[in-house]
Amino acid sequence: MHEVQTSGRRSGAPLFWTVALVATVIDAVSKFLLEHMEVAPPVRIAAALLPLPGNIALMVLILRAIRRLDEFQQRIQLEAVAFGFLATAIAVFVYGYLQKALATGPLRPWLVYLFMAVTYGIGYLAAARRYR
Amino acid sequence: MRNRIHVLRAEKEWTQARLAEEIGVSRQAIVAIENGKYDPALPLAFKIARAFGKTIEEVFLWENPPVQKNTPWRKET
Repeated sequence: MHEVQTSGRRSGAPLFWTVALVATVIDAVSKFLLEHMEVAPPVRIAAALLPLPGNIALMVLILRAIRRLDEFQQRIQLEAVAFGFLATAIAVFVYGYLQKALATGPLRPWLVYLFMAVTYGIGYLAAARRYR
Repeated sequence: MRNRIHVLRAEKEWTQARLAEEIGVSRQAIVAIENGKYDPALPLAFKIARAFGKTIEEVFLWENPPVQKNTPWRKET
């Protein structure tokens, strides 16, 4: 995310990438525990919820970064996020109907995240180009 | 909305980056405002005007403002 200091506060980029790295490691550990370890159901639930704090911390850091942007960049971000969110919603909706038509297999969550990231990027470029 | 930012910048010999730094926004924002692609909110408009030592009306020009019926200075036809 493009970040600009507008209020004299220091950049949160190093903290963001540190938390992102820690969250990714925790996510991988959680996935490993769930796929390769034979553990009791309560432990499985705990392992499944393990990535949650890191992901919430990432969300908070992203929201803080957006609040630090100037009003113009917030507008660009709004248009990019709106495009990504709506395009993903439509895609998931269409995918659901294709599933009912037996044209596609089960929906994989990582595919949704990837689609959302790509459409956010397209939305960002389109918005930035529009105001150039 | 038109604006005189380009002229005022030239008078002060400021680059877009310098103006952006003066008022604490991105250069991207200055480019969009200067090209008339984005109209700033009032606080930012005030900051830009004050950076040049001008009033908002001296920097931003609203073309074809709508005339309100109860405006006292409206010329009756």
